[in-house]
Amino acid sequence: MRDVYIVGTGIHPWMGFSEQVFADFAAVAVDGALKDANVEWHKIQSIMAGIFIYGGNAGHLSGQYLESIFGETGIPVVNVYNACATGSAAIRMAYNSVAAGETDTALAFGADVSPKGFLTAKSDNAVQDRDVIRWKMGGMPNPIYWALECRKRMAKYDTTEEDLALVKVLMSEYGAKNPHARFKKTYSVEEVLNSVYVCDPLRLYEICPVSTGAAAVIVTADRELIDKADHPVKINATTMGSAMYGDPTIRISALSCPSVPEAPMLSESYSASRQAYEKSGIGPEDIDVLELPDNSSWHYLVYLETCGFCKEGEADRMLRDGLTRIGGKLPVNPSGGFSSHGEALSAQALWQVIECANQLRGRCGDRQVEGAKVAMAQTYGLMGNSGTTIMSI
Amino acid sequence: MENMANKVARIPDLVDWSTGEVRLMSAKCNSCGTYFFPREHYQHRPGCSREGVENVLLPVKGKLASYTIQYYPCPPPFKTEKKITPYGIGLVEFEQEKIQVAGIITDTDLDSLEIGMEMETTTLTMFTNDEKQQVVTWAFAAVK
Repeated sequence: MRDVYIVGTGIHPWMGFSEQVFADFAAVAVDGALKDANVEWHKIQSIMAGIFIYGGNAGHLSGQYLESIFGETGIPVVNVYNACATGSAAIRMAYNSVAAGETDTALAFGADVSPKGFLTAKSDNAVQDRDVIRWKMGGMPNPIYWALECRKRMAKYDTTEEDLALVKVLMSEYGAKNPHARFKKTYSVEEVLNSVYVCDPLRLYEICPVSTGAAAVIVTADRELIDKADHPVKINATTMGSAMYGDPTIRISALSCPSVPEAPMLSESYSASRQAYEKSGIGPEDIDVLELPDNSSWHYLVYLETCGFCKEGEADRMLRDGLTRIGGKLPVNPSGGFSSHGEALSAQALWQVIECANQLRGRCGDRQVEGAKVAMAQTYGLMGNSGTTIMSI
Repeated sequence: MENMANKVARIPDLVDWSTGEVRLMSAKCNSCGTYFFPREHYQHRPGCSREGVENVLLPVKGKLASYTIQYYPCPPPFKTEKKITPYGIGLVEFEQEKIQVAGIITDTDLDSLEIGMEMETTTLTMFTNDEKQQVVTWAFAAVK
């Protein structure tokens, strides 16, 4: 396998609902990546596209729509969906194509336009699509699942409502410094604790909404492109994991879960991260900056444990002791996280990779983690989807 | 028990009241021992032969393993005639079957919810259909 480098990245800043079509957002991100890498469109030898699930035919063939904007060249264009880890799947395929020598330079992108309101069932077939049952019979929007797990955590460990609020405080402090973030307001612990419960114990400011956004990454093994790139970032590993039998987590869309654990919680993310550690020879202790999926304050805490940055039940202490702050032992989500961005399904995993790359390239201004050499982006998608990307400079 | 004759589940094959008790319709794999809910949502142990899956009913009673209180109305396709927010969602554990099942909490003081409390399976009427039948889902209530 050849060494593969990120040489160009582009983002369309995160925002709320828009009447504009997803391909326009994608084009902004891809244009940005091409300019950043200083490469011509015809150098792109394959496109790995995250699909836009609410975009009908166009959204499901997002790669073809994107290619036609920049000019069709006959290259392989593959469209992929792995829930909120879709971008992880796209960059993994781009990496594999280049590392294996199938192509020299590949583009991974994702673009999503927020639906008005909630993400809901996409079919009416209750036998085939378990999502239908949880919506029609269960009355269970996504945050319910996180709240059920958060309550278990609070009963098992000493996680407090103040801990959950502190996550938002920290994320808002960093989001305010990130030009790509959607939410720029900063909050105090009191303000977060005064926000309404959405699903007890999670409050309005402790869960992330859905957003519009786009992100694109160009990876290459072409020596000429690497040499002319501004601080090329090496991909040490980019992996995906699925769930393991006996995982006790109640997964979004499911109506049941095992009561006797035979696998770690969030086993898909446990698996993805362990694969990445093994492939790269880099462990949690080597990571200088971490982007994790803070879909809710509960995620922020549990992911530190799932990915092996501390033992089970110790994440709260890491947070309280300031270890996860910029300047701390393990800066977490200097981007402001999903808390400051919201979810843009097919784009968010790539946006996390880009934040990591920007940190390694020293481009993060007021939220820069000084001297960051190794970074890790970790994703979480419903129904057992996850990806890990470890990068270095 | 109230008259269940004029009730219909909004989605079939999930909750049964034909025996006089309200019970969830599960399936058990006799090869790997795993219980599934809903029945067709298989979660076999890797390497299982998948032979001998049989339909079973879960016990009426279980223990509350976790809960949350939902404060805003659930969007469609969820539908209730009356406003039910705030409503509880519980994760109820059936110990022998080694499974926890999620469902709406009904007929229970939400302030009294506590992990470990005994819950029983029941139904919740969501709305009345054109045939004047009460359309129900499964639900859990604190054992009184």
